[in-house]
Amino acid sequence: MSAPDEPREPTPPDEDEPVESAAPEEDDETEAAKPAPPAPAAPRPGFFAERPEVAVEVPRRRLAAQSRRDFILFAAGVIASGLGAWWLLPDRRKARLVGTAAHDRLDTLAGRVGLSRANREKALNGALTFDDDVAEALYSKDRRVRTYATSQRTPLKNNYHGRTPGPEILPGWTLNLTGLASGRDERLTLDDLRRFPHHEQTTRLVCVEGWSAIAWWGGVRFADLLAAFPPAPGARWAALRSAVSLDGAGRVEPYYVSIDLNTARHPQALLATHQDGAPLSLAHGAPMRLLVPMKLGLKNIKALTDIAYAADEPADYWNERGYSKYDGL
Amino acid sequence: MYPAPMEPASPTPNAPPRPAVRENEATARVVPKHHALVRLTHWVNFPTLLGLIATGLSIYWASPVFKHAFDPATGTREWMQDIGRAIAPLVRAQGDPRDAVYEFFGLGPRQLAVALRLHWALAYLFMVNGVVYLIGLAAGGGWRALLPRPSDVRETFAMMRFYLGVIPMALLRRPWPHPTITSKYNALQRAAYFTMPIAGALVILSGWAMHKPVQLGWLERLFGNYDNARIVHLTCMVVLGGFIVPHVILATADGWDTLRSMVTGWSARVKEEPHERA
Repeated sequence: MSAPDEPREPTPPDEDEPVESAAPEEDDETEAAKPAPPAPAAPRPGFFAERPEVAVEVPRRRLAAQSRRDFILFAAGVIASGLGAWWLLPDRRKARLVGTAAHDRLDTLAGRVGLSRANREKALNGALTFDDDVAEALYSKDRRVRTYATSQRTPLKNNYHGRTPGPEILPGWTLNLTGLASGRDERLTLDDLRRFPHHEQTTRLVCVEGWSAIAWWGGVRFADLLAAFPPAPGARWAALRSAVSLDGAGRVEPYYVSIDLNTARHPQALLATHQDGAPLSLAHGAPMRLLVPMKLGLKNIKALTDIAYAADEPADYWNERGYSKYDGL
Repeated sequence: MYPAPMEPASPTPNAPPRPAVRENEATARVVPKHHALVRLTHWVNFPTLLGLIATGLSIYWASPVFKHAFDPATGTREWMQDIGRAIAPLVRAQGDPRDAVYEFFGLGPRQLAVALRLHWALAYLFMVNGVVYLIGLAAGGGWRALLPRPSDVRETFAMMRFYLGVIPMALLRRPWPHPTITSKYNALQRAAYFTMPIAGALVILSGWAMHKPVQLGWLERLFGNYDNARIVHLTCMVVLGGFIVPHVILATADGWDTLRSMVTGWSARVKEEPHERA
């Protein structure tokens, strides 16, 4: 929309100079008797310059050409946003807007010009990945999560979408480590893990849904476990898994999240065994859960049973259901 | 950009004011109105804001902020559901009337994952658009037209009196002249156009405070705490959304010239006297 590329009337060069010396209209009546000051050679205003609201004479042909161009651009914008909105809207919403039959016909047409569902997912995943990259760029291992006094705690609900496992998971529980530098797999009991220093922190747990709660946690640092059982060289990720998670009907449905080792090594990343000074309840992930307050709540996996270190990013339960993979706060 | 002028508006000092409409001549007299960047960002903002509000409502659905104790009479525990029940007959809502706001103005309930992804995509577009607008405003000096000035209090009352009287006086067929405005915008417009960039900046800042409360902890603290940032974000949404309705009504009522000037940048309303000095 800049001036240089527009076709110009074949006019003498000096006519391109906007004559800013034209007295503002208000002055015309009061100063009509005075001679107009000679037009100084005003410099041509830059692209950004706000032009004074003073009437100017413009060749009709040029005005018409410029207006036509602007309206064509405007119409192109309207069509593009209409197509874009149609492309990006969820199917359910589209069907509600125009009815199922018209929706199917329009979708077929949109698909012909490349606005397919597959491309939509690609574009939306692109936005998500971009946002994840921004989050990762913002992340600093040295930045502490804000902590609170234990008196500032707020009620923490159990928001897990499945059922809570029963106490039968506790007696034989072990934490299984794979992908270690030693090449061996480890099975650690709670007593093994209690040998690490115990840390406490009161932090805010933020859910992707928008609610949050301040809770008091205790446990061992993930960093201490990583130092004692180092991952294989080249590992950048930890795949954390709960093999005892249940779905809404009470069937076993493993839950799994990916955590980058940068986050795992953060001093406030805990393998929590305690809440409010007491061992974790089953509803909040007994006997051990991950507590990463620099990540959304859905990364804070409950009833953790397995940790596998890997070079490539492992699968993530909610990422497979359309949510972010990084989830950095 | 703007139509480049050919000659001064009044070449001879003693010439009588020329009529604004001279259809048969080779030149036209027009007034430059809106910079190309203002027009571009204005029209990009419109679908972007509507999309942000629609996706934002579907995110809000997952965990409403404005709640009350469960009311057995209405079966709701949040204000958005109460509004939904009230508007359900108007929007002919299908399904649960309590979800009418989310269905009609948002993407609908249970759409959190898709709403979040769309919200991020549109939010980045909104931020880029806002930065382009602010660069143009700062570099071109357009911000001066938006600054409040001392005469605004008096002018605000004059404008409000004028707007209140427009319809009754038209019905009574009595003349109802527009107050004399000597600047680009009247006080009400100035207040609105001054508030919008601020609400836009606040909505972006509070959005980041919620989105990255740990890495941008200073921003979360700026809003007090996490939940306050959510309240500010939603309040700004109401302010921005509430601006659109009267803005569209007033711009349309002002006529084709006003609408066209936001596309082409020029107005054919050449006043031999200052704005609306009637």
